[in-house]
Amino acid sequence: MTTRMTDAGPQTPMMSLSWVSLAVVVVIGIFSLLFLWLGFQSFGGENPDQGNLYIVVGTAGLAAIGYMFFRTKAISSQKPPVEKAEVVTILECPSCDLKRVRDFQRGDYVYKSDESCTRCEGTMTITGIHRKAEPKKKR
Amino acid sequence: MYLQVGQLLQNQSDIGMILQTLFSLSFIIYLFYAQRIQAMSMLRAVEGTLRKVKEIRDKGRSVSIEAVKEASEGDYDPTPDVERFLEHFFISPTSLDPAGIVGKMGQLLNVRENTFEAEVRAMAPKASDSEVNNLENLLEASLALNIYYKVIRHFYLLGKKTMNIYVIMQIHMILPMIVREIEAYSRALQAFRDGTPIGDSVGPLVAARLMHGHEWSDVAKEMVAAEVPYNGRTLIVTKAKGPGGSVGKPGDAIENILNSRKGRKKVDAVIMIDAAGKLEGEPAGGIAEGVGAAIGGIGVEKYKIEEAVKEHDIPMYAIAIKQDITHVVAPMVEELYTACDTAVETVKRMIDEKTKEGDTILVAGIGNTVGVGQ
Repeated sequence: MTTRMTDAGPQTPMMSLSWVSLAVVVVIGIFSLLFLWLGFQSFGGENPDQGNLYIVVGTAGLAAIGYMFFRTKAISSQKPPVEKAEVVTILECPSCDLKRVRDFQRGDYVYKSDESCTRCEGTMTITGIHRKAEPKKKR
Repeated sequence: MYLQVGQLLQNQSDIGMILQTLFSLSFIIYLFYAQRIQAMSMLRAVEGTLRKVKEIRDKGRSVSIEAVKEASEGDYDPTPDVERFLEHFFISPTSLDPAGIVGKMGQLLNVRENTFEAEVRAMAPKASDSEVNNLENLLEASLALNIYYKVIRHFYLLGKKTMNIYVIMQIHMILPMIVREIEAYSRALQAFRDGTPIGDSVGPLVAARLMHGHEWSDVAKEMVAAEVPYNGRTLIVTKAKGPGGSVGKPGDAIENILNSRKGRKKVDAVIMIDAAGKLEGEPAGGIAEGVGAAIGGIGVEKYKIEEAVKEHDIPMYAIAIKQDITHVVAPMVEELYTACDTAVETVKRMIDEKTKEGDTILVAGIGNTVGVGQ
């Protein structure tokens, strides 16, 4: 949060609250507790309506703190920006029509044929290379 | 409710007075600093993206250095050479006098390609032709990421310096689109390092499906073609020479093929297959048919194709395989892979419908042929 984006020095991931944010959280926290205390005081006394309001303000303050922590957690657990895609290679044997799917290996390309067939004596040809289907994200 | 707020804000209560002062103060602050607050929040959003883009740019740089090192000899450290490559730039010819600009552009692009190839060969003398092509593509992807990063950083720092909301807005508004492109390029790093087919390889893959098993020959720089008999017709199928990452020179290939037919039966139709950007809501791998030169890029190759086809007065048809911007340079997704088989059937149907027995048809698979042989 405190790092500024220039080329100087390595970057710091946004994993913790800065001291300013922490101070804000503490101040809001104290006020929220004060309001809650006042709320409960008024609730039992002569003015229950005002007590309601104090409790609402106090709860909103605590909710705001919760939201700040939630946001910090969300940022720290972000996925790495460059995800590795899983790629598969499809091989087919022209002699016995055996089809096989395996993980992609460097050097594979479509219509390369240098892998022996596991069923017959033939040589398998790579007929396709594509990314594995990714599971659909839940909304 | 209003009564309750009024009760809380009444001046008789100490808390009410404090709250009223705070509300008034925040109102006055917002009155004068609303735009500044908005600018600061936009800057924060840009900063977050910039951080992510920097990470991706650094990853691209390190992947490139690693890949070049693997293909180089001895204990050569390619870091300074790769860093120099990442700062390469291209100056487009002036368009003040547009006559002849395509030729100038073509000449400059050739020089650029030759320079890149020579640089990569010097860095990685052990690499085969295919590996050189893949390394070239990998370095170009890293170069693009570097430019994206520098442009976003430029607007971020300029916005921060001037605190001008209009400077900040410019980058903030287009950020979501830029991020999609950057993420696509980040996936291209894996594709070009490993040599896997990408979304743009659909054109060459369709052509490869048609020409595989037939004798092929070189027809232009990094372009191959094969004669394939089909339903009483002759197909001349052309694509970039794989499996290294290259788009070849389809303009030159089509021009050479059409010109080489002099004295023989002329070509009766041209069918081009290429990847095309899909609109939101359209499925990836959807196939559309149309008319015209299906080819992207700056326009030099498109110009050559249109000129050649016009000169020989040949009808030109196009098949587009729809995909998202995030698919184009990323390893090919399954939907696009299966769409290639559908596209082959579409080509055959188009040939049956639009030509007759004895005709010669030129079929061109346009795109980057990384990971696709012939």
